[in-house]
Amino acid sequence: MVQYVNMRIDGSHYKVPKGLSVLDVAIEQGVCIPHLCHVPNLSDIGACRLCIVEHVVNGRSKVTTSCTLRVQEGMIILSNTDKIKRLRKNIAELLVSQAPNSKAIQDIAVRCGVTTVRYPFRNDDCVLCGRCVRICAEQWQAKAIGFVGRGKDRRVDTPFGRKSETCKVCGNCIDLCPMTITPCAGPMKPGEEYLCSKCESQMLEAAGVPDQCIWCELGKGFQCSRHLGGHA
Amino acid sequence: MPEIAFISELSAFRNRIMEKRNELKGTIAICGGTGCQSSSSLKVIAALMEELEAQGLAETVHVRPTGCHGFCEQGPIMVVEPDGIFYCHVGVDDIAEIISETIRKGEAIDRLLYTDPVTGRKIKTESEIPFYVKQKRQLLAQNRRLNPKSIEDYIALGGYSALAQALNGMEAGTILKEVIASGLRGRGGGGFPTGRKWKECQEAPGEEKYVVCNADEGDPGAYMDRCLLEGNPHSVLEGMMLGAIAVGAQHGYVYVRNEYPLAVEHAKKAVEQAREAGLLGEAILGSSFNFDIDVARGGGAFVCGESTALMASLEGRVGEPRPKDVHTVVEGLWNKPTVLNNVETWANIPAIILKGSDWYSAQGSNGSKGTKILALTGQVKNTGLVEVEMGTPIKTVVFDIGGGSATGKPIKAVQTGGPSGGCLPTYKFDLPVDFDALYDAGSMVGSGGMVVMDEDTCMVDVAKYFLTFLQDESCGKCVPCRLGIDRMLEIVTRISDGGGKPEDIDLMEDLAFTMKETALCGLGKTAANPVLSTLKYFRDEYEAHINGRKCPAGVCQALITYVVDGEKCNGCGRCLRACPHNSIIGEKKKVHRIDAELCKKCGICRSVCEFDAIHTI
Amino acid sequence: MKPQSIESLLEGRRSQPHQLIEVLQDVQKQYGYISEEAMRMISGELGVPLMDVYSVVSFYKAFHMKPRGKNIITLCTGTACHVRGAKLLLNQATGQLGVDPGNVTEDGLFTIEHVNCLGACALGPVVTENGSSYHHMTPGKLRKLINGLRDREEEKATNA
Repeated sequence: MVQYVNMRIDGSHYKVPKGLSVLDVAIEQGVCIPHLCHVPNLSDIGACRLCIVEHVVNGRSKVTTSCTLRVQEGMIILSNTDKIKRLRKNIAELLVSQAPNSKAIQDIAVRCGVTTVRYPFRNDDCVLCGRCVRICAEQWQAKAIGFVGRGKDRRVDTPFGRKSETCKVCGNCIDLCPMTITPCAGPMKPGEEYLCSKCESQMLEAAGVPDQCIWCELGKGFQCSRHLGGHA
Repeated sequence: MPEIAFISELSAFRNRIMEKRNELKGTIAICGGTGCQSSSSLKVIAALMEELEAQGLAETVHVRPTGCHGFCEQGPIMVVEPDGIFYCHVGVDDIAEIISETIRKGEAIDRLLYTDPVTGRKIKTESEIPFYVKQKRQLLAQNRRLNPKSIEDYIALGGYSALAQALNGMEAGTILKEVIASGLRGRGGGGFPTGRKWKECQEAPGEEKYVVCNADEGDPGAYMDRCLLEGNPHSVLEGMMLGAIAVGAQHGYVYVRNEYPLAVEHAKKAVEQAREAGLLGEAILGSSFNFDIDVARGGGAFVCGESTALMASLEGRVGEPRPKDVHTVVEGLWNKPTVLNNVETWANIPAIILKGSDWYSAQGSNGSKGTKILALTGQVKNTGLVEVEMGTPIKTVVFDIGGGSATGKPIKAVQTGGPSGGCLPTYKFDLPVDFDALYDAGSMVGSGGMVVMDEDTCMVDVAKYFLTFLQDESCGKCVPCRLGIDRMLEIVTRISDGGGKPEDIDLMEDLAFTMKETALCGLGKTAANPVLSTLKYFRDEYEAHINGRKCPAGVCQALITYVVDGEKCNGCGRCLRACPHNSIIGEKKKVHRIDAELCKKCGICRSVCEFDAIHTI
Repeated sequence: MKPQSIESLLEGRRSQPHQLIEVLQDVQKQYGYISEEAMRMISGELGVPLMDVYSVVSFYKAFHMKPRGKNIITLCTGTACHVRGAKLLLNQATGQLGVDPGNVTEDGLFTIEHVNCLGACALGPVVTENGSSYHHMTPGKLRKLINGLRDREEEKATNA
């Protein structure tokens, strides 16, 4: 017997199965909450912090990641307050200034309303979202790759940096990686990075209807779970 | 050490110990803590024991190596009982005289006594020394009275009576009520009400529960926990036992950071002794309480002071925090309900149970009860461990206990709470050592670190220092911390190097807001505090760096030039020889010159000059 | 390094994944570093996937994957020591030995490490070397200490 709980997101009421996360509900119900490290059917680690929402308890609101927050009876969630928009934009700005050479990351920046980048650009080829590590560990139980090092030196690697002995050559890690597709106008060489912002139509739509899923092209870019999960 | 199978046996055992001690002629307590060890106190202890043996006094004079006495600046410290004569800077060469004059004749040796820096007079006993007088050494005073490797010492002082009381008809619910009523708040930095934490764990569903002692003490500048665990490990164990009874836990862990080998050794020994005495294991003191403790070591990661990271480390995994939408009191170690408390928090428990919550809550301020141990360090005369009643003004700690500036230069600020805390300027020194008061002022009590800074400290450099530390220690999992600290450090470094822009301050504030609200764990959330608090109180220094390209304190290397003062230089050549970059030119007895092109601003020349002839402009 | 010795360190800990860090501590203490061979053996005996063992070794500062210098000079760079000039000591050490922290000098004799707080703050700046600790250090004293260690090594080499 599936237990259901009643909860609210941005004023709308939902009756949802217990055990789901707030992000699961949003994805299912067409509430747009940008996310990067979340992948359907894999564990949620709350690493990218893009899916943050305000969780209101006893009149006070706490900012928390919707992917790690399980729904509860009477839960009140606000996903698109000014505070959340500002925070999400800042996080997206940190991401795009770090790894601009990716269509997915550029699309996230557009979706989160980044119009200027206040930090010098870098040209990383990994945003440490952990999708590859998790699919390898959880779907295939191979653990061919994992996180190595810590802090600034954190990276994804195989043991001893050599060819893996447990890799099942499934290709899922590459499929899920948000860095494999370069920006539409071509790859950005070091020193020539910029904020793309070319999808004007998408930007207008995103600005106009910020909290509803509009099946935007942007979502495809960063493999939004609505596209990934094949939601109808 | 016989096994104490029943509560009644505990007091009988204690009486036997006291009887034996009454036959002693005297006792000498010498600090063997890590601090004094670096001043060779172990050699002093060995020499003393050898000499006593040689003079046939070994049976009647007891030498007690103890944990830290707190007055580290004056070590090695020796206290001769029963008179309590306090000797500082004791060396191996002093032993013979100490035995002949003090032990045999009961007379104090002037040159070894503490000199009051204000009056110049010699002070004989600890209880008269200003450094100690102004403190309330509830926890620390015990260190002098026991050998940390002796469970007998602990029991002789009344140790494990709280445990006996708890098991003798006191219900778990009563213990819980007492701790809640005491008002005790976590001493590790969070300041969370301890009783409430315990209650949530006790109420959490599940039979298997844990209690954990967080001895990861990573705040640079803080060593209170090391001192407690090295000096009085049984007090911590007893606290954990009481917590285990209250919440229903069967097993406990003491997680000690890798950099504290002596604390690990003493904790392990204490556990061993407690097991031998039957105070850990099954049917403790004849009750139905079963409980055991294991000591685990950290791997060298500041982030493992965070509760979920610590638990991951105990489970043999990388110390990465996890989101706390579900609290660790409900799902903690191995997803079981777990109470994690700091060393000092646990050490407070036995007295609360013995003397009652009323006694405890009568001390301190409205929102912060009891006493707090502070690590007073930096540019202050009397550095060491200080224990004061909560609510004591900062100025009392810095000036009355600390003795004011060590360098003669005016004190500028005090940094409290470690990397999660902030800097408070001197005009805020009326503020009390109180969780809420310091938090409201933009800093925090934190674990108790208190670093005093004089006018030669650059506050931009302080912010840079803490950000560098945190960047090194961040686990790297979440974006706001990993990238946020990196970018914040990039900006502060640019400012320190003279490349600051006016919009940098707004950017730092926006970034700080983002980190505070969205980072996954406490490390990331508080990482911007050093920047925020120095911006709040020392904005003029930032502006001087940004607009004037100047470092008022003369620290930021890119903004200063080292020059030789022609009037004071006598050509001794010390600086030339010491300079690792060969940037000083000069002939013997002639004024030397620093080549600005080659100079790397390391400051070594200034530190070796004995004529104050090198300074920065 | 014979597999036998690691065997003895694994006694009583087999098939207990949560003992990983304790085992690594013991291996590090005994051999001065944790080799690939050691990691593979630990992975097999404790039942921890090799990737996880590697992740843990690379995460914690206490573990090293390469041998370090014979003399490890650790400088405390905690707040209290920093405020008392620990940076000068770091400059002195790196300048004198010509090597960055964490690396080994060419002759294999020295490694400089810096640690974020040794907990002896009142006596800073603090330097430890091979178990002994020194307080109130200055660049001059450090220079003498390093020279002294070098002399000691030279004596050992000529007497060997």
